[in-house]
Amino acid sequence: MIETTAAPFPTIRVRPWLGRLAVATSLIATFMALVWAPTDAVQGDVYRIIYVHVPLAWLAYLAFFVVFLASLGWLLTRRPWFDALAIASAEVGVLFTGMFIVAGSIWAKPTWGVWWTWDPRLVTTAVMFMMYVGYLLLRSLSTDFSRRATRAAVIGVIAVIDIPIVHLSVLWMNSLHQLPTVLRAGGSPSLDAAMGTTLGISVIAFTLVYFAFLAERISIELDRQRRTLEARA
Amino acid sequence: MNALDRALLVAARELAAERRRPDGFVAALTFTALLVLMESLAFGPGQARQPGVASALYWIAILFAATLVATRSFDRELEDDAIDAVLVLDGGREALYAGKVIAIAIVLAIVALAAAVLSLVLLDLGVALAGHLVLVGVLGILALPPVIVLVTLLALRVRARVALVPILSFPILMPQLVACTQGAAAALTGDASAALGWAGILAAFALVYGVLGLTIVPAAIE
Repeated sequence: MIETTAAPFPTIRVRPWLGRLAVATSLIATFMALVWAPTDAVQGDVYRIIYVHVPLAWLAYLAFFVVFLASLGWLLTRRPWFDALAIASAEVGVLFTGMFIVAGSIWAKPTWGVWWTWDPRLVTTAVMFMMYVGYLLLRSLSTDFSRRATRAAVIGVIAVIDIPIVHLSVLWMNSLHQLPTVLRAGGSPSLDAAMGTTLGISVIAFTLVYFAFLAERISIELDRQRRTLEARA
Repeated sequence: MNALDRALLVAARELAAERRRPDGFVAALTFTALLVLMESLAFGPGQARQPGVASALYWIAILFAATLVATRSFDRELEDDAIDAVLVLDGGREALYAGKVIAIAIVLAIVALAAAVLSLVLLDLGVALAGHLVLVGVLGILALPPVIVLVTLLALRVRARVALVPILSFPILMPQLVACTQGAAAALTGDASAALGWAGILAAFALVYGVLGLTIVPAAIE
């Protein structure tokens, strides 16, 4: 049964501003990444893809962690808003994870000499991508709203275990991929200050893009839920 | 009747049904043997006899066998709506989950034993640490069913269930597959500490997903 008590989030007034803020921050981040940040002494300009690759990695983790929280929310409260949040974050997460893999592959060719290698980080990321594609497939094959939401929520809860596996795979196994640069235990990020600042702005820009996409997708999903309810009535 | 008794009752019922009509067991056994043979042939005898490759081929076959056994088990439940009778009982959902996990682990253990003998004989593998290999095998068998039963339950009345169960469960089982493969390879080559380390990881995964399954199953089945 679908309840219509949940209010759309963010409200109509906030959503356009979120999009504009995301675009503005992205433009600043693009300028900093391509012009302001210094060239890397070892990799040259090729390294600049880090300003896309790392934020995408962060967003993949964030999006799937939000799926986990929203799935818990649905299982505990059965409020449709949580299901809308879960599907929205899963779709955006799959998009960003796909882009994360492609960006990594583009970076790998000039630095490692190959588009793809059987490295733990790459494989675990691809597996995480497949896991959430499976999540979306499960949703698309279920017709009843409540059952679909519950089934998807269970997968959303158990799949989150893959996030630490992906992040820590480079520490647990012999890996060609470099060790964590930003989120690493016992130390500050191993980056030049200007590079670190640019990376920080890029992460903020991509995170705003994520929230803008999320807000639009939640709105679409809630609208879809409302129309389904009206059609039944 | 306490929760354990209920789970054991479901497991006994499952094993009785499997003994009466062992189609799931026979299918899994045949499929596993066929897969081990075909994979070994595809790799060629030289490569397939390497401990890492032989272990990987074996555990991939067992993984497929586990999904076959679980899918067939739930097919049987749906044929005469027997599952509904269990679900309406007090504590029936947890008992169904735990009972299925126990029963499928037992059936899988028999399949795994037969496949292990087949692999060891046909590939003429030397076993440096037999006890460690058995430990990894037992914990591997315990680590797979909690996830596969949970996913099969979720996909119970979904279209394309046969395809959906491996699509959803295999990525979740990837760490267990790596641990099984590496642990078995370490036992074959005589690396005791590595074998025990991977066995510990398997025990942890079996425990985590077992508890998670029991916690989440009441909410997962509608």
